[in-house]
Amino acid sequence: MPSISIPTALRQYAGGQASVNVEAAHIGDALAKLTAQFPDLQKHLFDVSGKLRSFVNVYVNDEDIRYLQKEDTAIKDGDEISIIPSIAGGSGCAVEEAPVEAKSAELPELNKDELARYSRHLILPEVGMEGQRKLKAASVLLIGAGGLGSPLGLYLAAAGVGRLGLVDFDVVDHSNLQRQVLHGTKDVGRKKLASAKDRIADINPHVQIDTYELALRSENALGIAKDYDIIIDGTDNFQTRYLANDASVLLGKPNVYGSIFRFEGQASVFHPKAGGPCYRCLYPEPPPPGLVPSCAEGGVLGILPGVIGMIQATEAVKLILGEGEPLIGRLLLFDALKMKFRELKLRRNPECPLCGDNPTIKQLIDYDQFCGVTPQPATEVSDWEITPLQLKQRLDSGERVTIIDVREPHEWQIANLENYGSRLIPLGQFANRIGEINPDDDIVVHCKMGGRSAKAYDALKKAGFTKIKNLKGGILAWADQVDRTMQKY
Amino acid sequence: MSVKLTPEQVEQIKRHGEQTFPEECGGLLLGVVVDGARVIREILPLENVRKDSRHNRVELDPRDYLRAEREAAKRDLGVWGYYHSHPNHPAIPSGFDLEHAPFIEWSYLIVSVRDGKAEELRAWRVREDRSQFDEDTLTVTETSSAKLST
Repeated sequence: MPSISIPTALRQYAGGQASVNVEAAHIGDALAKLTAQFPDLQKHLFDVSGKLRSFVNVYVNDEDIRYLQKEDTAIKDGDEISIIPSIAGGSGCAVEEAPVEAKSAELPELNKDELARYSRHLILPEVGMEGQRKLKAASVLLIGAGGLGSPLGLYLAAAGVGRLGLVDFDVVDHSNLQRQVLHGTKDVGRKKLASAKDRIADINPHVQIDTYELALRSENALGIAKDYDIIIDGTDNFQTRYLANDASVLLGKPNVYGSIFRFEGQASVFHPKAGGPCYRCLYPEPPPPGLVPSCAEGGVLGILPGVIGMIQATEAVKLILGEGEPLIGRLLLFDALKMKFRELKLRRNPECPLCGDNPTIKQLIDYDQFCGVTPQPATEVSDWEITPLQLKQRLDSGERVTIIDVREPHEWQIANLENYGSRLIPLGQFANRIGEINPDDDIVVHCKMGGRSAKAYDALKKAGFTKIKNLKGGILAWADQVDRTMQKY
Repeated sequence: MSVKLTPEQVEQIKRHGEQTFPEECGGLLLGVVVDGARVIREILPLENVRKDSRHNRVELDPRDYLRAEREAAKRDLGVWGYYHSHPNHPAIPSGFDLEHAPFIEWSYLIVSVRDGKAEELRAWRVREDRSQFDEDTLTVTETSSAKLST
């Protein structure tokens, strides 16, 4: 008769026996007879659906049945069947462990005002007094006080995060107000940091706000980020996104990532120190410059940064509290039009140059170069470009210039150069309609800001056109420099 | 419930964790049950057979388990648990540990190794509904003279 050897831990459910003899022709049959004889074994070996539990391996004479005929593997007299646990463990993706460890003894006290303010938190067992003190002790760096930075700043301050760092160098513009709810109409023209600081201080005067009016760069990123527990990426460009990622990994800090475009957004928590991947594991290389349009070029639903920023804020608070399951190792995808969330599993890439097994990036690099972006001084005009003022002069002097607008029809409706004979050929139709353009004309192509028209410029050049210029800064620059009455968007 | 180790056995587990640092190590605990306590008689350091993520994952060879059972049987011992290391992480079970804990009857030891130096060793048990780990009492004493039970 074949025998089944029982692991030590399960012998108490098999009458204390180390080995049980069963009359059976194949493995499935043998296990069925074993559990019929000892019903207590059933739930230890099989799950509720009757399948062998994932950690239960069955061997026949030192061979794993998974590599034989599984449960149909035939057995004969004298065969030894072994039930063997698969034993594995690991420190990564700990749910019980807070990636941001609070120094419990040194947690700050809450005063009477704060106790009243946070009462709805204090009655949550997952927050409570200790959690609220952890929030007060915590520091979070927000890179960008724009679309994502707005909900992040508002809610993290309201939740009682003790210190917020804000990095931004921009000025509030009318076109920001559709989504950047930190700033109001009265703030247009002010520095975003000044406006943000006022608003946050109004929401919660107990929050310390540190402002950094600068562009985050390789030279300053580590120095700024090192004093914070959590880095939150609310950036709108790839250079800063890779920089924020690399600085976080080098400092061993979690990077709460979010990005938005049109109606879709993504969020994750990158934290290789806690066993998860980093942004480079997901996207090893940036896309070629110009391939992915920015929000200014492609548009964005104003509410979308609210949704994604809230997810980032929630993750940051969870990391501080050490509660729940962080988005480490998971990429959350949101589609506002379909109103659907999807989740992708992310794994750390052992080959990752930053957080892999043999990292080659050990300090911050030149991110403009890495992303293929050459920053040009604003005043410099390449010979393939024409400034709005130059174009205006040429038009005023009676020169015949064919202006081709490569934007979309709905953009044309907001503002256009029709008075100067501009024609609309959207970039998507450009290749098919290139024949409509006379190669002998002096041509100026433009879009909103100059990105899409640069592609049209290349297409014309390839097609053999020689007298082409790209309007530098697009129609927005025209509105700023030539026609201040023009509607901007 | 509790688990009993000798100071030498604690040292042996810590040393294993330090030797394999920054990778995880693992091994089995051979012993007996006396009045509900797992009294460990022998530490069996084993090889981590994971090919990837060895800095935060460990996996033991099922054949090594089989050999350990056979070896234990010869000496009237049983396999009553396993230990592994958490390099640069606290000695607290992870979600991965919970998903991969085979037996609720076992004792799970975790040693935290920081920058190559073994720090705390903690003992854990899996709750019967497998919903979480609870910390177990770890007693370190010289060899127990308690009588054996099966």
